[in-house]
Amino acid sequence: MSRPHLSDACAAVLRRDLLLAWRRRSDIAMPVLYALIVTMLFPFALGPEEGLLQRIASGVILVTMLLAMLLALDAMFASDIEDGSLEQLMLAPQPLALMLGMKIIAHWLTTALPLIVITPLLAAMLHLPAAVIPVLLLALLLVTPLISLFGAVLIALTAGTHRSGMLLALMLLPLCVPALIFAAGAVAAAQQGLPWLAPISWLAAILVLAVVLAPLACAAALRIALDS
Amino acid sequence: MTVAHAAVPLLEARALSFYRQDEPVFAPLDFQLHAGELALVEGDNGSGKTTLLRMLAGLLHVTVGELCWRGAPLRRDACTSEILFLGHQLGLKADLSPRENLRIATGLHGSRESVTAAGVLAQIGLRGYEDEPVRRLSAGQRKRAALARLLLLPGTLWLLDEPYANLDRRGIALVNQLLEAHTARDGAALVTSHGAMGFHGGEPRHIRMHA
Repeated sequence: MSRPHLSDACAAVLRRDLLLAWRRRSDIAMPVLYALIVTMLFPFALGPEEGLLQRIASGVILVTMLLAMLLALDAMFASDIEDGSLEQLMLAPQPLALMLGMKIIAHWLTTALPLIVITPLLAAMLHLPAAVIPVLLLALLLVTPLISLFGAVLIALTAGTHRSGMLLALMLLPLCVPALIFAAGAVAAAQQGLPWLAPISWLAAILVLAVVLAPLACAAALRIALDS
Repeated sequence: MTVAHAAVPLLEARALSFYRQDEPVFAPLDFQLHAGELALVEGDNGSGKTTLLRMLAGLLHVTVGELCWRGAPLRRDACTSEILFLGHQLGLKADLSPRENLRIATGLHGSRESVTAAGVLAQIGLRGYEDEPVRRLSAGQRKRAALARLLLLPGTLWLLDEPYANLDRRGIALVNQLLEAHTARDGAALVTSHGAMGFHGGEPRHIRMHA
């Protein structure tokens, strides 16, 4: 009898979720298509005036990302609760918070990363200057994991309630306001040629805190959700 | 057997009960389970059999009464590697094959010595279906895929909620064989079931539940 190493268990959970996402590739494409179409609607609605689009570009992209991620967040634990996989994960002799952390990483890799990859395209559609795009990408690399982590905690809290999707949106969007402000502030500063490092550092600080605390909160909430 | 009985019981419940919204789900229970023993949990629908098993697995908090594991109060993190739970929800991913499902389980729990996923799946009657997605399997075959976990993972106490459901006659005989082999190895099992079962490894203990 060999008890598995912690890293093996982490790898098993991560690989499982990535494999499942790969088997349902069309689900990954949904948020990407959504972000593309929403961003494309803005030039149509506002007219092709370059200055206006440039001014709103970073805000539009950030909000679109947030909403696109919200589309896919709901599914993070839903199927696992339904088919009993979450129970098995809880009963495994491994720290639940770490295992859920792996699930959150897998979820970020399959929903947020494709969105970040198409960001330069979205930025080009809104005439965002090329020099600002790296700052926007950096901000997104910090904001999207935050959304995944906050979202995971809220999903865990609303697990087992009816119509949790709407509830999730109502709770998550206000929570994301600070992150959104910092990210938009960094991009706006970069656009005006001002130093943009301070808001990015704030985002990084929030992310570090969330990475440590969110999986723990998630584990506690899910244990309570199944304890009834 | 007498030696085993003299030893500390694997699992012991004293006046164990569970309350849901201040209503008791089942009347207080007292029982002991020793290594090498099988216990049948009997009761009507809604008498709390599943609740009891979820409690023993550590999914539900013990609020009333006492539950001891090897003589000490049961703590989830102290005994998770020894308890295997098979509930109504089988814990299989429908998009993955039985083999892939087993690989996740061994990644989390480790595996017994000298057993392989392929060997276990053949033994459980899923030869030829190892790489078929679980969603394409029949209900009985899914049950078998979940039972394969019991053979592959290390565990002393098996908590099986309706293991006979959906199985054909040969499947039921197979579960009995598994249970006999497990108790012969000094493992213990708690099984809920409505159906009659032909278990040949000695007289099982009966735990009767009342709502």
